[in-house]
Amino acid sequence: MRNIFLKNIIKSYNNDLILDHLSLEIPSGTFFALLGPSGSGKTTLLRLIAGLEQVDEGIIFLGDEDITYTPIYKRRVNTVFQNYALFPHMDVFDNVAYSLVIRGVASEIIEEKVTKTLKTVHLEKHIYKSINNLSGGQKQRVALARAIINEPDVLLLDEPLAALDLKLREKMLLELIELQSELKTTFVYVTHDQFEALTVADHMAIMNHDGEIEQVGTPKEIYEFPVSTFVAKFVGSTNIFKGKLKIASDFCRIDFASLGEFDVVAPKDKEWACDGNQVYMSLRPEKIEITKVPMAGFSNMLKGVVRSIVYHGRSTQYNVQLQNNQVIQVFEQNEEHFPQEVIDYDDQVFLYWQKENVVLLEK
Amino acid sequence: MKIKEKIAQGITYNMSFIFTTPAVLWQILFLYIPLLLVVYASFYRGVGATWYDWTCEHYLSLFTRDYFMIIGRSVMVAFGVALLCLFLAYPIAYFLALKVGRRWKNLLLFLLTLPFWTNFLIQVYSWVFVLDHNGLINTILLRVGLIKEPLHMVNSTKAIFLVMVHYYLPFMIMPLYSVLEKIQKDVLEASMDLGATHWQTFRRITIPLSLSGIKTGFFLVFVPAFGEFVIPSLIGGAKYMFVGSLVSHYFLVARDSQLGSAFTLLSGFILLLCALTFNWVCDTLYKTSAAKRDQ
Repeated sequence: MRNIFLKNIIKSYNNDLILDHLSLEIPSGTFFALLGPSGSGKTTLLRLIAGLEQVDEGIIFLGDEDITYTPIYKRRVNTVFQNYALFPHMDVFDNVAYSLVIRGVASEIIEEKVTKTLKTVHLEKHIYKSINNLSGGQKQRVALARAIINEPDVLLLDEPLAALDLKLREKMLLELIELQSELKTTFVYVTHDQFEALTVADHMAIMNHDGEIEQVGTPKEIYEFPVSTFVAKFVGSTNIFKGKLKIASDFCRIDFASLGEFDVVAPKDKEWACDGNQVYMSLRPEKIEITKVPMAGFSNMLKGVVRSIVYHGRSTQYNVQLQNNQVIQVFEQNEEHFPQEVIDYDDQVFLYWQKENVVLLEK
Repeated sequence: MKIKEKIAQGITYNMSFIFTTPAVLWQILFLYIPLLLVVYASFYRGVGATWYDWTCEHYLSLFTRDYFMIIGRSVMVAFGVALLCLFLAYPIAYFLALKVGRRWKNLLLFLLTLPFWTNFLIQVYSWVFVLDHNGLINTILLRVGLIKEPLHMVNSTKAIFLVMVHYYLPFMIMPLYSVLEKIQKDVLEASMDLGATHWQTFRRITIPLSLSGIKTGFFLVFVPAFGEFVIPSLIGGAKYMFVGSLVSHYFLVARDSQLGSAFTLLSGFILLLCALTFNWVCDTLYKTSAAKRDQ
């Protein structure tokens, strides 16, 4: 097992602190996504693992080997660069063969390995094409083939699909997942796109604007149980409410002064979850039931007026104004061609949700 | 309306023709016609002969050891100057293109072009004051006490070499800089990432990607250095004959334009051979992928 282990990493550029005492463990053999907004230092983190940058302080382990000061060309880590960074004076074959040629591998073995690797990325037909005659997707595949041919312990991908169109991106994501499960190499995938991260990752880490890691977990854990309003807002869409917690022996409620009190499930083992504390509640738009007629069987209800409707195809987004003028999002699946109940602008609606489906957050 | 449009269209259509005509005319009048005249003169028997009285005797008279010594010396010096310029210019251009920040870059590039603001003759002649018996270097060295006798520096091939390198260096730096600047940093990083050391990256990525700049710079230095006659005559004291000095001697002093033309064309032919050889050597050393496949 060759886990990547980063401990107390400090890195700054021109007196601008990018990473401040960051620690992270990336389990071996997983598809790991580093998700964060632009400028969160995720690319810096990647470049530190690759060896393209040196840490100011801290240790990086690959397995039980300290690679903090190992020169880049000796690390068993390869990178797929954001703009592909292919060698423009070489054709597809020579680009892919580069790392083998550098190591002085015999030419028959090179030939065989390059052919095999290009097959894995479905490029066997373009083996002698010039780099300049390839499409964006093909360039991406060359970059990928070039990076995996040497069977690295870790493959780093720096927003590799950013330049591709949506359809191609979806296709490449599935291929990447397939490739990872085939190779069993640790993939570290840096992106600011939560859709990509949720799609590919077994595990993911969310970084915030200050270069700190907010949460590490599986995509489902991150999406359903975010630990902060930042994570809840950054991964998916959500509605955040601020209120006071009221806990007694027989009930647990959250009090939004202007909207009333709502049932919640008391968070376990959280020292901040005590009576009278200020907390946040995250309520995902798809967890809300929207209707014009009252319904039974829900633990919580709010009334509001539909202010705008955004049709997304598979779902419709309603922006509903509450009594305290806060506007919240509600998603409804478009299950039928001819729904019985049509909700229109300025309609009075009831919003229902179950208390189990909200998350309480400290900050 | 339609006629107006058609005229406008016609003008745009003919615009490129109109704009290129002066340049083409200029080239024909002042380059191709004179060149043809030189070719003609090289075969013309001499003053007093009829215009169609052609002969090869001027060329034949050139095939002696002395002339080839002169051409050989010029080739050696031009090649040496170009090579030395390349080795000196590459690190400078590399540094300017890949290591210097944007703010400093402009200032340094400006400093690089500064010599061109000075008259060429003044530039060359000021070297005489530096290298002369009672020039700057000798005075300083004598004062410090490092030498007792003034060093003999001016009027030597070394001095010619030094001044030529100094003068032609910017011509090498500029084309190198412009190709090196286009190299993307992540391509170099990718090479290192794939296991190449600094040196391997330099050899396999940086040099091939800057090859066009190396060639351009080499020709920009080699060609004028081959025909240079001001620097050898000012710094070398006309002690050594170079191609340029001999050509100017034939036309300006001896007034033998037939022999002068023949010599000009012969040395031009050799210059062309040298350039083609250099080009071929570069391409053989750094074959592109496509060229390798064709073998």
